[in-house]
This record gives sequence, C-alpha cells and structure tokens, in this order.
Amino acid sequence: MLGKIILQNLEKHDFPYNIDKKICSGWANDLPKGGETILFTSCMHQTASLSDTFSRTIPLAEKVPSLSVFAKLIKPNKEQLERSYKVLRNIASLLKKNGVNFGYLYEEEPYSGAILLELGYLNEFGIHAERVTKFLKEKGVKRIITVDPHTHNALNRYNEFTKFDIEVVNYLELVKDAKIKTDVSFVIHDSCLYSRFLGLRDVYRQILTNAGGKIVEDLMVTSKEVSYCCGSPIKPVNHELGEKVAKSRVEQLKKLSENILVVCPMCYANLSKYHNKIYDLAEVVE
Amino acid sequence: MSEWEIAVNRAINNNVPKVFQILNKYPYILELAKKLREAKLQVLSNPEKYIEETINSVKRIGGNAYFVRDANEAREVISKIVGSGKKVVMGKSMVAYEIGLRKYLQSIGNEVWETDLGEFLIQLADEPPSHILAPAVHMTKERIAKLIREKLHVDVDVNSSHEELVAKVREFLREKFIKADVGITGANAVAADTGSVILVENEGNIRMSSVLPTVHIAVAGVEKIVPTFYDALTEATVQAAFAGLYPPTYINVSSGPSSTGDIEMKRVSPAHGPKEFHLVIVDNGRIEISRDEVLKETLLCIRCGRCHMHCPVYRVEGVDWGDPPYTGPMGAMWSYAVYRDTKPAMYCMHSGNCKEVCPMKINIPRVLERIKAIGNGSIRDGDGYGKK
Ligand code: SF4
Repeated sequence: MLGKIILQNLEKHDFPYNIDKKICSGWANDLPKGGETILFTSCMHQTASLSDTFSRTIPLAEKVPSLSVFAKLIKPNKEQLERSYKVLRNIASLLKKNGVNFGYLYEEEPYSGAILLELGYLNEFGIHAERVTKFLKEKGVKRIITVDPHTHNALNRYNEFTKFDIEVVNYLELVKDAKIKTDVSFVIHDSCLYSRFLGLRDVYRQILTNAGGKIVEDLMVTSKEVSYCCGSPIKPVNHELGEKVAKSRVEQLKKLSENILVVCPMCYANLSKYHNKIYDLAEVVE
Repeated sequence: MSEWEIAVNRAINNNVPKVFQILNKYPYILELAKKLREAKLQVLSNPEKYIEETINSVKRIGGNAYFVRDANEAREVISKIVGSGKKVVMGKSMVAYEIGLRKYLQSIGNEVWETDLGEFLIQLADEPPSHILAPAVHMTKERIAKLIREKLHVDVDVNSSHEELVAKVREFLREKFIKADVGITGANAVAADTGSVILVENEGNIRMSSVLPTVHIAVAGVEKIVPTFYDALTEATVQAAFAGLYPPTYINVSSGPSSTGDIEMKRVSPAHGPKEFHLVIVDNGRIEISRDEVLKETLLCIRCGRCHMHCPVYRVEGVDWGDPPYTGPMGAMWSYAVYRDTKPAMYCMHSGNCKEVCPMKINIPRVLERIKAIGNGSIRDGDGYGKK
C-alpha cells in the first residue's frame, strides 16, 4: 500500500512527497541545461534534512492511506538548505577543476526511486525505473554523474528491472585532484552503500590523503567489516531504532576524533543531531 | 547503557577480534569456506536426490532415517522413538527448538534436560534464547547465580565465581547423563555419502548426549546435508572458526549405532555406545525456499553467528529481533524460511556488514530485500523481480 502511495507521489510531484521542486535546483544557476553528461542530485542533499519528517509520516500513511498524508508541502529550513547548496556547488566546482564537463536538468531532474528500493517495494521500484529511464533517454542523456550513495545505488540496479544503458559514475571517481582546507584530522563515517556495496570506500580515502588530509582508522570503528550504519535507512520503519543507532555510532566515532567526515547527505542529517563537528567531504576539500 | 548493550558489547569485544585473528593465523579456512559454499549449493540444486542418498546411507550403516515435512510430523516421529516416562538429555539444536521438541516431549511425560550450559539456563528461566552460540548472552552472572540457587536448590550466591556456577551445573547434569535413556542432538552437518552426522562442540555435553544413552536421535534441517563426509568435516571446521572457537575442543562423528570389529574383525553392533541411531531430516519450508534463486541463499547458513556481532540492528534490538531461536540477520532470513514471517526482514537497514563477514558469502541484505517485498505485497514469492 505504502509503495503505491509513494509511486503516486512520484507521478504527481516527481518526488516521494510533496516539495517545491525549486528547492532542488536552487543551488545551480550557471550550469548548462541538459546535455549528454548530467550531474544528478535526485534532490537528496537538498532534502536530507526532511527525512525525519518524512519517516515520521510513513507510519501514519500506512494506517490512513486514504488521507494523503504526504500531500502537505514540506520545506527544509533555510540554514540547512543553504548548507546543502554549498556542498553541491563545491562538488560541481571540484568536477570542473578536474576537467569534467556536465549539464544539469534543473527542475526536470527525476527522483531515482531509492526509497522504494530501500523499503522493499521492488515492483514499484521497477515501474519507476522504467519511467525514469524513458525520460532520460528522451533527454538524450548518455552519462550520469551521481553525488550521493543512495541515488548511485538505485540507478545501479535499474538494469535488473529495465533495459538501462546509460553510464552511471560517481563524482568521487572523477575527482583526482583536490586540496584540503584544514589541517585537523578526521575519522570517516563510511556510507554503507559506498563502502560495502559500491566499492568506493578507498576512492574517497585516496582523494582525502592525496589532498593532504589526515585520517584516523581503527579496526573496531572504521573497518569495512565492523563500521556501521548511521541509522537513517531504518527510520521510516522504526524511528526510535534509527536514533539509537545514530547515537551509538557517534559515540564510537568520537572516541577516535572530534571531527567526523561523511560522504552521504543522509548520514549527515542523521548523525549531526548528536554532534556538531560533522562535515561532508565536499566541505573540507576544494 | 542497558544490560543488553553491556552484554553484547562485551561479547563483540571478545569475539570480533578473535575471528579476525583465527582467519589470519589459519588462512586455509577461507579456502575451505569457498569449497563448502559450492558443496552446499550442489545439494540445494537437487535436495530430493541428496535426502534420498542420505537416508540410504544411514540405513546401510545400521541406523534409521526419516524425512519429515513439518514440525508436527517431526514431533510425531521423534516421540514414537522416545515414548514416555523416559529420561532424555539434549544437545543444543536450533531445529529442535524450531519444532518445539523439548516442551513436547515433556508434555507426553518425559523428563528432558538441555545439556548445553546456555541452553540449560534458558530452560531453567523458561526464556527464549538470545544468540545462536550463546543463548543466555543476555543474562548476567548474578542473575544466573540466583536462577541456579532457586531452581536447583544448590548453595550458590551472587558472590560465587563463574567456575563455581559451572561446577554446580556440571554436578547436576552428570547424574542426568548417566541415567538418560535417550540422547537427542542436532547436527552441524550430515554427509550424504556415508550417512554420518558431524557435531562441533566445546563443553563435552554432546559427546555424552550422543554416547551415554542407549538411543541417539539426531535431528537436522535439510540444509545440513552436504555431499560427502569430507564436506561435512569441512563444515565443522569452518563453523568453529567463524564462530571464533578454533580449534574447537571436540568434533564428533556419529555413523550409525556403536560398533566394534574386535572379534575376528567382524563389525558388530552395538558396543559401548548407543544401540540405536536415528536421523530425522526436517523440511519445514526449506525445500520450497530452495527453489527461489535469491531466497535459497538462506540455506547456505552454517550458523556461526558472526553476522550478529556486526549488525547494527542486532546490537541495538538484540533478543527481540527475529523469531526464536532465529535472531539477528540470519534469523531475519530464517524467520521467513521456516515460519514464513516477513516482519523481522523489515528491520534490515542494509548496512551490509553481515554479507561482508559471512563465511558463506550470503548476500543477506538482498535476501531480506526480497522477503520485505513479499511482506509488502509488492511481489509474490516466485516473481522474477530483483532476482539477479
Ligand atoms: S548468515 Fe553467514 S555469518 Fe550469519 S550465521 Fe549464517 S553463515 Fe554465519
């Protein structure tokens, strides 16, 4: 049932819930529209701070599907939105500095469908994937640059559901050269998807060390096998559990360093409630 | 920190580095794990054939073997062998728990004792187990002392040492072993080619349960069958190593009832050990699962419990996640495999740690994703989506 509601929202608002699409594109004004290579945000950075509201709404939607509880327009606060814009602008400028040319679809950019996949609505995800694929092909897109793990993972799985022959690459794979902005040392909170599903764990470590950054590692906290989730993906199912995981994760990380580095907007949103020195990789390198 | 968090953090700090050390020191174990996965997949591609082969092999070595469809049938077959008014000792077995064996045998007038220390404590407290290797991992020593004093009427208190507590239980159980009529165990692996049952343990209770009573009944899920005796020993080796208990103190092999070849080298049975050996192979939904390309991976699990220690949900939710005895990430798969319960899978936050550490390389998040989709009504069991 929930899968169907989300799918309907995707049809209507092009997003799992009702947002003003302008907030998604507000960070970009000097990028060419469309093109064969596009930067694809899926509005994840811009709306990550809303994930809490969204996850609290889900149990309601399951109980009273007839009242479309997702219908209300929701908005991130200004400060959070501005921060996400800065992160996205830094990513765009890092790419340009590394000689990568790309366009952006602005308000027309579709949502990847990650939430359907992650909540286990495989059929609905398949339907959405087909629709997005068709749209991207019509726009002549040949290559997509993703900027967050959830979108990257979702697009990576389109092939299981539809014929998807657009190349998907992550911005981290294209940034070879960057400079660190600070000399503090960081503990990395890995994104589960980047680290254990998409094989990018060493890629951002490399960016950081090449840039002159210092990283603290520990088998029991940051290794591929032992480090764990920020708790965000479980929040739509059980909000409290997600919070408990976030809290315990921050405690583990703080033992190694006060400065926590993340590579995912959802990790940022979830962990930053429990600590104020959390940074996205794109905030500390230029 | 809650009592659970304290207990689980201690267990993680003891167990996680230990497994890494073992895998470093004995690198052949990773090789064995790879081979074992292949051997198990071979059985899963044709379970019926291997069940038949196993049954024939057990008969050939003088034992009895049965294939049962569900928990009811399993209880029926086993209670016919046991009868009533008997003294029964049991070694820890998840399948026995799954089919409600202990309580059933008690209800038909038998005295039944769990002999694995953790399981014994669970029996005394009448609580579900919290972890597959350490079923009483949620109890503190103080609580255990109180439990033993009250239930066994022995002289221990909160100040008693771990050693004293173990000694008291040992004294109590010794007498039960000696007087037992029937010993029931699970199986870590069953060899189709020889009909042998392999069991790994550290306490010594399984040896006694399987040798002292005159009747030994082993109960095992279909997935415990491997093609050869060699594969079965491999499973014991890999299981012990990934559980962090390597070398295991004991590996037991039971091939039929006890026998001797000492008089003119003619093999006769029984000798000192059991005069009867029975193997009960339980389906309970497993074969159906084996037909689904994604879900079938569940059946590769060798129950080492490593995934538990690496899972954020288990670390936070603990005992309450999954249907006993199937807790943790593996439990979320098994809850569906044998109870068709999709709810535990919903709690998977796809952190992926479990798949990273699983000796059988089961893509647990992918299995759980499929169970979620079935639970959500998004796909039906058997639909093609997400199969790759
Ligand atoms: S799923 Fe893998 S790690 Fe977990 S208990 Fe089974 S074999 Fe061990």
